[in-house]
Amino acid sequence: MGACMSENVKTKKENPAAEFFRSIGAFFKEFGEAVAKGDWGVKASLVVMGAGYWKRKQIVKGVLVTLLEIAVILYTVLIGIPYISQLGTLGEVERAMVYNPETMKNEVNDYDNSLLILLFGVISLSFLVVAVLLWFANVRNTYRLQKLAESGKHINTFREDCSAMLNDKFHFTLLALPVLGVVIFNVMPLIVMICIAFTNYDQNHMPPAQLFTWVGLENFKSLFTTSLTMTFGYTFWKILGWTLLWAVFATFTTYFGGIILALMINSKLTKLKKMWRTLFVASISIPQFVTLLLLRNFFANNGLANTFCASVGITDFFKNLGWITTDYIPFLTDPVWAKCTIVVINIWVGVPYLMLIATGVLMNIPEELKESAKIDGANPFQIFRKITMPYMFFITGPYLVTQFTANINNFNVIYLLTQDVYTTTDQKLAASSGKEIDLLVTWLYRLTSEQYNYKMASVIGICVFIVCAVITLFAFNFLIKGDKEETFQ
Amino acid sequence: MKKKVLSTLLCVTMAATMFAGCGNNTTTNNSTTTDDAATNDVTTGTEEAAAPSGSGETISLRVWAAEEDQTLTNELIEKFKEANPDQTFDITVGVESEANAKDDILVDPEAAADVFAFANDQIVDLVNANVLQPVQDTETVSSQNVEGAVEAATVNDTLYAYPFSADNGYFLYYDSNVVTDPTNWDAILADCEAAGKKAGMVFASGWYNASFFYGAGFTTQLNADGSTTMDWNGTSVDGINGTDVAQAMLDIATNPAFLPITDGDTANQIATGTLGAIVSGTWDAAAVQEAFGDGYAATVLPTYTCAGQQVPMGSAAGYKMIGVNANSAQVGWAMELALFLTNEESQAARFEQRQIGPSNITAGEAPEVQENIAIAAVVAQNAANGVVQSVGNNYWDPTQSFGEIMAQGNPDGTDLQTLLDNLVEAVAQPVQ
Amino acid sequence: MMGKRKIINSVLMHVALVVLAIIWLTPIVWLVVTSFSGYDGMNTSRFFPETWSIRNYTRVLFESDTVSQFPVWFKNTLIIAIFVCLISTSFVLMMSYAMSCMRFKGRKAIMNAAVMLQLFPGFLSMIAIYFILKSVNLTNSHIGMILVYSGGSALGYLVAKGFFDTIPASLREAAYIEGASEARTFLTIVLPLSKPIIVYTVINSFLMPWTDFVFAKIILNSGISTDWTVAIGLYNMLNRTLIPTYFSRFCASGVLVGIPIGILFVIMQKFYVEGITGGSVKG
Repeated sequence: MGACMSENVKTKKENPAAEFFRSIGAFFKEFGEAVAKGDWGVKASLVVMGAGYWKRKQIVKGVLVTLLEIAVILYTVLIGIPYISQLGTLGEVERAMVYNPETMKNEVNDYDNSLLILLFGVISLSFLVVAVLLWFANVRNTYRLQKLAESGKHINTFREDCSAMLNDKFHFTLLALPVLGVVIFNVMPLIVMICIAFTNYDQNHMPPAQLFTWVGLENFKSLFTTSLTMTFGYTFWKILGWTLLWAVFATFTTYFGGIILALMINSKLTKLKKMWRTLFVASISIPQFVTLLLLRNFFANNGLANTFCASVGITDFFKNLGWITTDYIPFLTDPVWAKCTIVVINIWVGVPYLMLIATGVLMNIPEELKESAKIDGANPFQIFRKITMPYMFFITGPYLVTQFTANINNFNVIYLLTQDVYTTTDQKLAASSGKEIDLLVTWLYRLTSEQYNYKMASVIGICVFIVCAVITLFAFNFLIKGDKEETFQ
Repeated sequence: MKKKVLSTLLCVTMAATMFAGCGNNTTTNNSTTTDDAATNDVTTGTEEAAAPSGSGETISLRVWAAEEDQTLTNELIEKFKEANPDQTFDITVGVESEANAKDDILVDPEAAADVFAFANDQIVDLVNANVLQPVQDTETVSSQNVEGAVEAATVNDTLYAYPFSADNGYFLYYDSNVVTDPTNWDAILADCEAAGKKAGMVFASGWYNASFFYGAGFTTQLNADGSTTMDWNGTSVDGINGTDVAQAMLDIATNPAFLPITDGDTANQIATGTLGAIVSGTWDAAAVQEAFGDGYAATVLPTYTCAGQQVPMGSAAGYKMIGVNANSAQVGWAMELALFLTNEESQAARFEQRQIGPSNITAGEAPEVQENIAIAAVVAQNAANGVVQSVGNNYWDPTQSFGEIMAQGNPDGTDLQTLLDNLVEAVAQPVQ
Repeated sequence: MMGKRKIINSVLMHVALVVLAIIWLTPIVWLVVTSFSGYDGMNTSRFFPETWSIRNYTRVLFESDTVSQFPVWFKNTLIIAIFVCLISTSFVLMMSYAMSCMRFKGRKAIMNAAVMLQLFPGFLSMIAIYFILKSVNLTNSHIGMILVYSGGSALGYLVAKGFFDTIPASLREAAYIEGASEARTFLTIVLPLSKPIIVYTVINSFLMPWTDFVFAKIILNSGISTDWTVAIGLYNMLNRTLIPTYFSRFCASGVLVGIPIGILFVIMQKFYVEGITGGSVKG
């Protein structure tokens, strides 16, 4: 939790930050006081963490805490220290292998694996920080116990402590596992990957056979330079542009599409509402990657869509218009066509979900509002514009923002539709393995899975984060005002 | 009562997770001390799992072979076990296509199979990542296999892999009922047009489109830093200008009877029945045979018209080979197995079952092999002017892009010299 | 007069809906008819196959080869999905209850951190997660997959929190007054009222293992196809060299996966809508 809080300071405004530092100050002040004024139990718990509890007859708690202490110390000495001490260099001994025909095995020296050093160095370090914080808190807690005892108040038994975990401190019980999961599977890996942006982990420096090391801001420089041979800068801006354009199109087309579809289905004129809804929901039931791979073949240059267009003359019509120069419609192979096709397919993918959401929201619109508007002589379109839309925006505003950032990171649609199909004809893009239709994330993915360029992928990942963070902050601060959290309760 | 049980339960789980959290990490260094945390059913990882050697030891090996090769590989492994009756083996076979082996191996070489098959274009990356164990018995491998295959398996004068097929190159398939003169592009295109058919080739791939340049005497060369040096924007040793070659490609691409095919789409295109000729490899032999029927024929690549003269197309010769993972715990036995899977009998069996052209000299001389139309064509092509392509990782995307521009007939009308200059520059980037 | 216009409008509306429904169902119908086609590969010239057969289904279900192991994949994915579903749903509900109904120090901080964490592209950390799992020997195992899918699931708590926010606080207060503990309130007062959001969370977490192939491919890297999940297996079938022989079986498998999910969706539709709209009121 300490890590979460410190990470978070940046996003908040002065006030919470000040509060945060004040609470840190208070924490250490209390600790100092504990060390100064504590009795022998408190002082002993500086060394043996359970001591303070034992003095107050909290035997079980004391044992648990001491066991934890022993585990942490053992871990740190045996595993943590070796990794942490190598964090500065990320390892110095490169692997050497000699084949021994006698044993029929390779004899390997005691080599360093930079990635593991980075990974477990970071994990051990965070462990250590948390452990130290716990130690501070532990001393403080025992001092609090002392004060309780001195003022003659009741001291909880172990059983009472446990039941507090289900009452006032129920949030600890609730959050322990979920937060632990997030820390192990999100926070730690992310910190490691952010660190990689400052190393030279790439195809020429791949563990276990090779070492990589820190290079500072070198990778960020190469992202923003375009020279004769380095086209990362050019590719980055080009792909960033399309990523943002895509996010706008993908978000708003599906959003309005979903609303319109929901309005149509829920209209008083429509019969068999449930059947229509089910028909559209049917397209969700097939896993997305199946439908996308299917559509990729459907819209291939020699696919069914082209066969159909050629047979009804659409292909010739487009050719006469000068929109295409080929004998087929390059649905997924021409930069402009591919972008349009992808947006259209995304509408196909996304609208049913939005229709479901919009249906729910529309049902909640107070009927009186519409009725009174009708009495005032508003036509259906005006009702839509003046009542339905504002209400939708009000309710789904935050969803729209998360949807926007989710579209910036929308890997599946673009990757599955264009991988192995689309070839760029922009030589500068090709030189950095980019394509016109790439989003930053798909570019990032291909850089790692095809080029093993982990360092640049990390740099791009950080850029994606910055873009998303700016948009989110902007949207939440300017577009969606106020915190509605309490209003409904 | 219920409340009490629940509360103790929650406390226990919390305490357990605290320790499990630590326990998980204590196991990191020493995979043998996994006690409660690792209640898994994983097969032993490749990390130094094995104890000291001795004849009583069970040799665990994992083999990766292509989907189509599964049955054969299992049969050969049985034979291998029979050939080594004193040892107990535990060999499992996994699926990994030869074309993508590198992509999956390099993510974590330690988790990759001990013995795996791959196509020769990946060898440089695999060697750079120190994944391949150098061949010990170089004498056997290099004396029994054709020269080109051995060359393709060699990087910096070290032999790194065991070749098993010499047919992974491309050549010309044609329908003899349609094409009467398969020796040059002009005639092929004219014949196809007359018959209402098309002649197809993959342009958007550096593996295919290099054939025009190699044939004209241009070269590619891999440098120590992983960059590729190419001279395609200049003049070749044969005195041909790169721009003329590009123009020749454009002339072919803009011919109405030409069909540019995307890499990997050849089988589909053949199946449509619109083709009268196609540049492809033995992997499409069955499909072509079905499409062309009694007109099925194959030969070396045709010549093309370049600045008024006929220039033969070269080709990137392709070989498939078996590599041994240097991270393997049983690297010695892995090498034995690799040697066995690529010996003369195994290659002969592979031809018999799957019509894969052997790289083994003796196996390749068998009459059945010689009679196979597709294999005869690829062997002839390799002999005529097959080049073992030596390029870095940054070669592929730029050449693919260049090929696509050619295939589309250079829609922007960019100066050919500029296109080639850009290409040469892009592939000259050091790998990073 | 009015009635006539209404009828015309109604007809127009239905025509439009029919057109849209056709557009939305075409790919699904293509999937289904191709799965019943009599040949192996893709048909690019006709929408409906020339020959019909159920052979694709019999092969997918009863004749496994190294490429197509559908029954095993289905079993693997189902096991993973059930556990992911249980763990994720509890994580999400626990997290959302704490965030929505309790007030404690650091609550806002955790909420903000959760928002920040979700702005990073997920597979940036793929490699790191892989090596964490490998160090405890959990790659190529179902447990590893379950951990990957459910470990970070608490981050998706926002919609559920939004839903809990709409449950009147007075209900909880009444429970406290009667002496119920916080845990009891959560389990006996709030959860029974949260059927829609539970269904929503269950569906979402259950679907994850069926659709993800990026993480699955990295973690299940032994190359042994019986270890795979449906997603990797199906993705692999569309490999360049395999597509001519496996396309129609791919379609058949797709339909087979889609049926249970579709049924789930149709039955749970009502709850799903209530859950997400209740939740997105305050996203």
